[in-house]
Amino acid sequence: MASFDVMPDVQLYQPTELDDALNLAEKFGDSGWLVGGGQDTYGWLKDRAKNPQAMIELNGIEALHGIRETDDGIEIGATTKLREIIRDERITRDYSLLSDAAGRVASPQIRNVGTLGGNLSQDTRCWYYRRGLDCYRAGGNTCYANGPESMNREHAVLGASRCVAVSPSDTATALVALEAIMIATSVDGVREIPAEDFFVGPDTHITQMTALDANEVLTAVRIPSKWAGKRFYFEKVADRDVWDFALVSVAVAMSMDGDTISDSRFVCGGVACVPHRLTQVENAARGKSLSDESADAVAALASQGTKPLNYNHFKLPLMENLVRRAMRG
Amino acid sequence: MEFATYKSDVWGREVIRGVSWDLLWLVVVAAFLIIAGHAIYEAAQKRGDKPSSDGARVTRHEMIDRVSHWLMAASMIALLITGIFPIIGIEFAWLELHWIAGILLTVIVVLHILRSILAKKLADMWISGGDLKEPFEESQKPGKYSLAQKSMHASVTVLTALVIVSGILMFMVIDSPWWERSNLLTEASLGWVFLIHGLSTLALVGVICMHIYFALRPEKLFYTRSMIKGWISKEELDANHDTERWTPDETS
Repeated sequence: MASFDVMPDVQLYQPTELDDALNLAEKFGDSGWLVGGGQDTYGWLKDRAKNPQAMIELNGIEALHGIRETDDGIEIGATTKLREIIRDERITRDYSLLSDAAGRVASPQIRNVGTLGGNLSQDTRCWYYRRGLDCYRAGGNTCYANGPESMNREHAVLGASRCVAVSPSDTATALVALEAIMIATSVDGVREIPAEDFFVGPDTHITQMTALDANEVLTAVRIPSKWAGKRFYFEKVADRDVWDFALVSVAVAMSMDGDTISDSRFVCGGVACVPHRLTQVENAARGKSLSDESADAVAALASQGTKPLNYNHFKLPLMENLVRRAMRG
Repeated sequence: MEFATYKSDVWGREVIRGVSWDLLWLVVVAAFLIIAGHAIYEAAQKRGDKPSSDGARVTRHEMIDRVSHWLMAASMIALLITGIFPIIGIEFAWLELHWIAGILLTVIVVLHILRSILAKKLADMWISGGDLKEPFEESQKPGKYSLAQKSMHASVTVLTALVIVSGILMFMVIDSPWWERSNLLTEASLGWVFLIHGLSTLALVGVICMHIYFALRPEKLFYTRSMIKGWISKEELDANHDTERWTPDETS
């Protein structure tokens, strides 16, 4: 595949009003490309693996930026930088799961420019796909990552359907755990999509990672107060401490009744095409205290139902151990 | 409008990806035009009274054949819905439903072939020289099946064989409960398999549209009734069939 140092010819639109951005998204549809921080944009374009007709840069739209309190929690604009989330007092106080997850995204430089919306909407890192091969995800008729000789160390152990790519977003797991609501806006109106439904698997949408339609813009993320100030745990395992994607991560929100867990959300990243809820772990954890015994009792449930590929069996004990560490207290 | 779509394989060579699904709309429009044209033509014809369904009855389809037909129809419709709806933008988890329906269709087809051989029914559907006279000689009545029915059956047979064989090959290169996916086919071969599966599917869409249309035509409804209840009346038999070529048993 050819690689270029320069950008291809592409129209650049820099709207300052949301309505203008929505009209542009409507006009260009699949041939348009929404840009936030651009961290998952320029590589695609320079490699000529994606060739949009127009880029619509959203950073100039004031309405998409900032962290606001709502009647029931907070709302974060889609172009809010990850650095701002990490440093926001309300988030670090009440929703530290999100700030912890955002703090593990890539590198400080990338967090300075990367946006929450971009981190959530980014495409998968499957190297066969990003290399520009015509795989299922690119509209083709095969998966290069799931053949007998394929290199699939980073790929899915759950929820694969022809395509075995995984969701790369760190903040996605945290927001699914926090029961966030994604606000998708288009010229037709506003859709509120639960975070759990925002990320879509290959069984239904093999060429996209989110439920966003081509004419929709992710404008904000609302986090309800349900989990505010609860006990959180986030851990990400990657090959490098910085500038790397999760091999496996876990985001956990726990509501404690004294010493026991009354309710919880365990979400695993890096194991499926969507942030994966560990519902069996959640059910088993209910009524248990945080201890080594409890951790050992529920940890094995984390990897139930998995179907590893040739080179990613290591993800199974990783899932179990991350759950074990979350439950140790 | 493209006939096929193309892609680059892993070595950068251009290979077939599969059928161009734009053809679906061509097939749907063509089927609609043929059906509309035929309906207008038939409406302009003066037809005599329909033979009565009352009186003595003869057996046209045994229970086992009727069950087989409707199971085949159900699996075919399930395959078309699960295969085509996602292409036209109605997205759902279709893949498992698709291959389950495909397995059902394959089993029914195999049983149907075995029954046709064992019950010596293959000759009933064979297109002979005598059948070819039907369109040109009004006095030439068919045996059990008319030339149009035999042609429809032959088309469905060939197309179903193509979708089943290509479907099995496609099934073997995805994970299933019984095996892990293989690299059985090169990308170029896989493209041909996708193309054959797609083209035969498109042709089946057209043929099935015709089949349903003719099954619902007023003068043919007694055949549809016979596929549900098993019988036609003696009067319908005499009016539409040569009883020397087909002598069915009377039934109650």
